[in-house]
Amino acid sequence: MSRLRDAVSAVERVILGKPTQIRLCLACLLARGHLLLEDVPGVGKTTLAHTLARVLGLDWRRLQFTSDLLPADVVGVAIFDRNTQQFRCRPGPVFTQLLLADEINRASPKAQSALLEAMEERQVSIDGVTHPLPEPFFVVATQNPHEQLGAFGLPESQLDRFLMRVSLGYPDREAERALLLAGERHELLESMSAVLTPAELLAAQRAVRAIYVGAPLLDYVQALVARSRSLFQLGLSPRAAQGLVRAAQAWALLAEERAVLPEHVQAVLPSVSAHRLEQRDSGGAGHGARLAAELLAAVPVPI
Amino acid sequence: MKLTTHSASWLPIAALYTAALVNAHHLAWWCLPVLVLATAWHMRAALYGHAQPGRTTRLGFAALVTVGVLLSFRTLNGISAGATLLVAMTAAKLFEARTRRDWYVICGATLFLLLAACLDRQQLWRLPLYALCLLLCLAALRGLSGGAALPATTLLRESARQLLYALPLALLCFLFFPRLPGAFWSLARDDEAITGLGDEMSPGRIARLSESDEPALRARFEGAPPPAAQRYWRGPVLHDFDGFTWRRHRGAGPPTGTLEFRGPAYRYSETLEPNTHGTVVALEMSQPPDTPYVSMSADFQLLALRPILEARSYELTAYPQAMMRGELSSAARDMDLALPPNRNPRAHELALQLRARAADPVVYINSVYAFLREGGFVYTLVPQPLGRNSVDELLFDTREGFCGHYASAFVDLMRAAGIPARVVTGYQGGEWNPIGGYLLVRQRDAHAWAEVWLEGRGWLRADPTAVVAPERLQRDLLQFGDGFSGGAARLLGSSRWLTSVLQAWDAANAWWQDDVVGFNFARQLNLAGRMGFGDGDWQTLAIALGVGLGAWLAWIAWSLRRLARAARPDALARAWRQIDRRLARAGLPRASHEGVLAYCERLELTQPAAAAALLPLARSYAGLRYGPPGEPAAMREFLRAARAYRPAYRPVFR
Repeated sequence: MSRLRDAVSAVERVILGKPTQIRLCLACLLARGHLLLEDVPGVGKTTLAHTLARVLGLDWRRLQFTSDLLPADVVGVAIFDRNTQQFRCRPGPVFTQLLLADEINRASPKAQSALLEAMEERQVSIDGVTHPLPEPFFVVATQNPHEQLGAFGLPESQLDRFLMRVSLGYPDREAERALLLAGERHELLESMSAVLTPAELLAAQRAVRAIYVGAPLLDYVQALVARSRSLFQLGLSPRAAQGLVRAAQAWALLAEERAVLPEHVQAVLPSVSAHRLEQRDSGGAGHGARLAAELLAAVPVPI
Repeated sequence: MKLTTHSASWLPIAALYTAALVNAHHLAWWCLPVLVLATAWHMRAALYGHAQPGRTTRLGFAALVTVGVLLSFRTLNGISAGATLLVAMTAAKLFEARTRRDWYVICGATLFLLLAACLDRQQLWRLPLYALCLLLCLAALRGLSGGAALPATTLLRESARQLLYALPLALLCFLFFPRLPGAFWSLARDDEAITGLGDEMSPGRIARLSESDEPALRARFEGAPPPAAQRYWRGPVLHDFDGFTWRRHRGAGPPTGTLEFRGPAYRYSETLEPNTHGTVVALEMSQPPDTPYVSMSADFQLLALRPILEARSYELTAYPQAMMRGELSSAARDMDLALPPNRNPRAHELALQLRARAADPVVYINSVYAFLREGGFVYTLVPQPLGRNSVDELLFDTREGFCGHYASAFVDLMRAAGIPARVVTGYQGGEWNPIGGYLLVRQRDAHAWAEVWLEGRGWLRADPTAVVAPERLQRDLLQFGDGFSGGAARLLGSSRWLTSVLQAWDAANAWWQDDVVGFNFARQLNLAGRMGFGDGDWQTLAIALGVGLGAWLAWIAWSLRRLARAARPDALARAWRQIDRRLARAGLPRASHEGVLAYCERLELTQPAAAAALLPLARSYAGLRYGPPGEPAAMREFLRAARAYRPAYRPVFR
């Protein structure tokens, strides 16, 4: 438990002034979910992903998505080995514990779908042979919401596979001043060491699942999901409901509670639901957050 | 999502349009275009963010509308002028519909328009429209009433459910709420033209007799209905002729003999649709009904003392073989012999020739019949228009016409030969509706015939149309396919299935008119009496209404109680609700979507002391409610603490 606290504060030392977002990102990874970072360039998306990988002690790779990226560039290829007279699998960048998929919306749908299988099944097929991915396996993808020229918006199926979407936003004045004084973040990153061992990470993930979820809380989650379906044309999917409970459990773990409270659901709901509600009709950036707030205000907490 | 955010505005607009449509029959012609224009303007402003019209424009528009109503109706009073004004002003309200309050005003006006339509027209086919309008309006109001925005389908479904809950109450009030005898809204009714019979008849002016399927009356006979040849329904009797137009005699008129009821009798109850001539059209010859509001005139019309502005029912007995005998006073003889001077000279010459050749009036009448039969006369509904000497032109030039033409010419020929005669208008025939078990007489059954006075025999009916076109009396207008009247009618005649559907629809209308719209005070008392609530006075109704109301309330209370019991909170919830109530009284209410710990956090910002006092309670509540099942002791501890809890903060202003 104390190691988790250490992990949070380690990330906070690098990413200044964003405690809520950092906790959300950590909760997402503890809930074994994939994370989508949506933001304008230069606010530290990549740094955040890098820091998370470092702090969690994960092996990570970065893959820059471009429009000419091929599925083989993601998952790898089978090549013919002249010495052994056999095909040999050369794994792609996806074989890592934390894959930073940068500017994911720039890749063609074909390349995106290669990632899709990896995210959902935690395995990839190369030339018909299925290869399991390392454990744990996370995708942290970034996209720039404003740059739509030559970009392929993520299909709904893929958006649904991201447990959370988090936006960092500009730092506040104080944090920005600290940032300007402190200098290059990368140097700080280089000097960081892992806070959690892989075993501890797996234990934390197991602890998330052990957080108690009572019947009244499930009532609340179901009420939220049902309300989203009557309130909006397309509401939250059962997968989203599952993710909501899992994310709330992770949040409760970070908050050091034994059981999930409605407050925990409320804390993660905007990040879990905004991207699922938003893409149904383009109401502009920040629209999803408004819908999530509307949803929360419409459902009373069970007393 | 567009739909959801805009349902707040499209539902009231849809309701307004429905209300305007159900009022369309009495709105000024410019009213609906104005509404469409205003809506388009409103939509443009709402969708594209254009500016709404300014104050001056709005005031100008209101003034323009008022002037328009004054020009169209010469008054602002009355149901038509009022409805027009309301629709146009509500349309103008769309220009400034910004806040929720504005939309409430629009919904209120819509409900008022619906009420106006209900007061004005109560036909069966309007019922679904009225229900739709009410549903739309309720849904709109429900959408306005705050809370989260709901999609229109949800609003409509929930409003429909609410209406269903209210239905028993409506039924109860319909049955037992005392209604004022004599429809009070009739007074405000504007004059309107009703097709069919009138006070006068100018066959020469009519170039095309339209075939109206509107019902004129329905008659339910106690036994078998009379044979088709006896189905003459007597309406206004016309005496005064100016060569072109036949009119009723002004004033009471001299007595024209006495009526002697004899022969077989047909007892029947008749529902008469509204008319303008104020005559209770009845089967010849019917005894006046047992009511002081109908009297028999000197020429045997049944006159209603009050205008017949809505459908009325009468209990009548008809004697088809009744005799109209006695003495014809000289005043009456003069009245029914009068002819305008210098009109129709050729006809009068013909009359004198034929009369000179005939031995007695009966022979003369037969020679006139022969002239009509053999003169190449044609029965048509599209005759050529006639001029000043209408009878001359008909008899010698055009030789075509319908019943009015021939009755007019016949009476003219009789009078010219010194035989007192008059025109009787009414209906002939009627269609038997086997589903409803009644005889339906339509406006298109309107007919005109003649009555002649023969010394010693009294008034006798003479129907010249039967001579020209005997088929006409078989009441098969359908065969008179005069190009335009034929098509649809022949189609109807050819399809048995369609005929029975139409008959069923008419039977439903008859039921609606007789038993729903015509459910009056007397029948209310009767029903309440039969159900055992005493015998026939106001108290009876009061008791019935009270008992019914009690039953309805009990039903509602019972279903609410069942719902409440299903969601009965446990001890833990009751304890926290008490804390909630105390906090609310102290001016620190918790929002319903706020978790208890989140509430404490919020409270800490403004009331740190109160938050600190509440936090342990909130923590243990959250643990008990959402945590794994714990010790009963912890629960007891919390309940005790919750009972003892009083918020420390007291607001300055209570």
